[in-house]
Amino acid sequence: MEMMDYGNGLNPTWCKGCGHFSVLRSLQTAAARMNIPREMLAVVSGIGCSGRISGYMNAYSFHSVHGRSLPVAQGIKLANPELTVVAAGGDGDGFAIGTSHTVHAIRRNINMTYIVMNNQVYGLTKGHVSPVSHQGFKTKTTPEGAVDMPVDPGLLALGSGVSFYAQGFSAQQDELIELIKKAIEHPGFSLVQVFSPCVTYNKVNTYQWFREHLKSVEDIRNTDSSDYIGAVELLKETKGLCTGVIFQNKEKKCYEELHQETKESNLVKETPQISEELFQQLTKKFSL
Amino acid sequence: MEKFTMLIGGIQGEGVVSTGISLMKALSRKGYYTLCERKFSSRIKGGNTHIIITVSEEEVTCVESTYHVIMAMDQESIDLNFHQLRQDGILFYDQELQVSENLSGNKKVIPLPITETAKDQGKSFMKNTSVIGFLGKMTGFAYDELEEIIKNAYGKKGQETLTQNLAVLKVAYNNDSFDSTMAPSFQHKKGKAKMMMMGNEAIALGAVMAGCRFMAGYPITPASDIMENLALYFPQIGGKTVQTEDEVAAIAMTVGASHAGARSMTATSGPGMTLMGEGLGLAGMIETPIVVVDAQRAGPSTGMPTKTEQSDLSFLYYAGHGEYSSIILSPSTVTECYEMTVEAFNLADQYQCPVIILTDLNLSLSPQTIDAIPFENPPIQRGLFASETFLSSYKDGGFPRYKITENGLSERALPGIPGGQHQVTGLEHNELGRPSDNPDNRKKMMKKRMLKTEPLKNRNEIIVEDQLNGKTLFMAYGSVYGVLKEASKRSESDVDIARIRQIKPLPVDQIKKLMAQYDSIVVVEENFNGQLAQIIRQETDRTSDIVSLTRYDGNNFTIEEILDEMERWCK
Repeated sequence: MEMMDYGNGLNPTWCKGCGHFSVLRSLQTAAARMNIPREMLAVVSGIGCSGRISGYMNAYSFHSVHGRSLPVAQGIKLANPELTVVAAGGDGDGFAIGTSHTVHAIRRNINMTYIVMNNQVYGLTKGHVSPVSHQGFKTKTTPEGAVDMPVDPGLLALGSGVSFYAQGFSAQQDELIELIKKAIEHPGFSLVQVFSPCVTYNKVNTYQWFREHLKSVEDIRNTDSSDYIGAVELLKETKGLCTGVIFQNKEKKCYEELHQETKESNLVKETPQISEELFQQLTKKFSL
Repeated sequence: MEKFTMLIGGIQGEGVVSTGISLMKALSRKGYYTLCERKFSSRIKGGNTHIIITVSEEEVTCVESTYHVIMAMDQESIDLNFHQLRQDGILFYDQELQVSENLSGNKKVIPLPITETAKDQGKSFMKNTSVIGFLGKMTGFAYDELEEIIKNAYGKKGQETLTQNLAVLKVAYNNDSFDSTMAPSFQHKKGKAKMMMMGNEAIALGAVMAGCRFMAGYPITPASDIMENLALYFPQIGGKTVQTEDEVAAIAMTVGASHAGARSMTATSGPGMTLMGEGLGLAGMIETPIVVVDAQRAGPSTGMPTKTEQSDLSFLYYAGHGEYSSIILSPSTVTECYEMTVEAFNLADQYQCPVIILTDLNLSLSPQTIDAIPFENPPIQRGLFASETFLSSYKDGGFPRYKITENGLSERALPGIPGGQHQVTGLEHNELGRPSDNPDNRKKMMKKRMLKTEPLKNRNEIIVEDQLNGKTLFMAYGSVYGVLKEASKRSESDVDIARIRQIKPLPVDQIKKLMAQYDSIVVVEENFNGQLAQIIRQETDRTSDIVSLTRYDGNNFTIEEILDEMERWCK
């Protein structure tokens, strides 16, 4: 399979230069490298510029509502565990309206991937402060500059017990492809946060700004990615501005393992009939 | 035997309810029908709780509002309920309580050594066993039959516990405070096969038989039992329940699982329903079948979580922003809760839209004797799916998920099937599921979604009971219908009664026929505004013949109240 096989021929509505193009290409390329049959790939997105990503995939794609890509995606995966399920959304989806879903999806550790396309601004509403905008960031709703502290996505994820957490950058596509691939391969809930610049409404956190500030995890880490404290320190030291696999806990059992899922865990197969014996068993508590 | 009603009251957490249920089960085994209402406060331990049980040789549809017997284990049970005791009734109370001398009037007041017997023979918390001994004897059970009940209840809790409980039972049973004239004579016999069930349990069982294998929910009174029951069932039959972080996630997850092809549901009450407005609209827009149970309680906001009401209807009729099709089914009995849950899943799949099962606290939570639900795998209608051969012709995309058809229904393709890849979106979309705000497309899609449930208006889902050809029809749904039924049996008026099983789409043709047949239709419901009456007036363009009778204090209508109204309408 080639990257192109996962496209549907539609031209994205994103602005020229938007970081999301790279995320889309990376997801398509990762799927191609992994040879995921298109019908076995479900991509669920939220709302905002980022939410459009599902609509450009040749896959079973689901453009849900604001902040709810994760519950929808988990529902799909629980119903049909044979699918590869990827949820994708923006920083508003993941860390404002859908924060609790992020935390609980991490906690549930279902075998799926969540890509947050973080541009630190609400683009589709034409430039409003986001939960990860830096203090002082001026927008139409924060003309004096943002006062609220930004959410720290990495520490939030680690604090919630994430089993795979990586950060990528739209301008480093090769790395991003590999991060998404590793995330999908990870047996459990994997979160990939992508610095995906908005060229229209964020004039602070630009491609240039990220090039100057981002460090590669490989260059600065002295332990391996299974070191939890090391991961926390890494995020503290770099103020979150690093790329690579920050943390991976391969030992943590995912939902599917804990529930001892088998082929029969697919709930979509033809409705099984209930035998009379089973019916008696189910209604025993009502019998007198 | 005439109907017999007893109240057992005590401190919450002391097993008052389980005592009542044990007695109900025992009586049901002896051919009787029973139905109970539980009164409880929104706390775990402490505070008064009581269970009111009506027993009859015929099916019981509502609990009577005056009692033959009160069995009081605490003072509050007396204070709250003594005025409801019939003139010929008896108050039994734990002799540890200080009962005022001038309480009785003509009513019999008899102290019983409830705590004393428990303490002497076992431990003081075995009061319930005392009560079973006293009440069991009164309702005609032989000692060894009661012994069975106690063995079943405590057999697994260790030999000492069992021995002590049996000792308590024996002394209580042999207490001579009763004589046979105090209660009607209970003629035990073997009747039809029966079950003891409440609405929520019937819904869970119905869901299983309908092939539902996924349930996401968030705990809330009075709906939690549905998730609890499915959490017990699913491991046995292959299914999953998820307790989500909130109701927003619960319905979104339900939509996801259904989109993937599993029959899926969620269940909640008013406060959760408010949050689920978002998911209902999503399911409506992307035409995904889901089943949502709303077990109504008194609102708005947190309202009265343990009190019954039917006040979510107006909201649900229009739930969410924008316009889309949905179906509201309204069972009136436990058996209907079972049957209509099966129906809900079939309708959801056939019409590809949300189906709401609307119950109320009393229907959802009142255990009662029903004729046993027979074993039968009900017919399953999954609606339209594109064939795999057909889909394989779309290997490069282009499957028209939202194809415009005459009846508005189009074929689904489930994730995993080659060629069926398509997008669904909460945005307005074209036949391919791709975003579009083209005005012509918008009109077509709106018509497709809005008109597809139109045929359901022709269903005759109003069931008129034993027509007397009177001039007035009393109509209700949910637990209120049970009160109408009992009142109508007793009434000498020629008022007819009916229950409505499908509120949306409203069976307009049938209602218009009924309007022609009756001078007035009195819609009896438990809310302030007369919500169902309002909807009927609106959908039929008739205002004069629809009369509203409402109650909104958290309690069910009483039989007497309805009887009075029926007499009034008869004149």
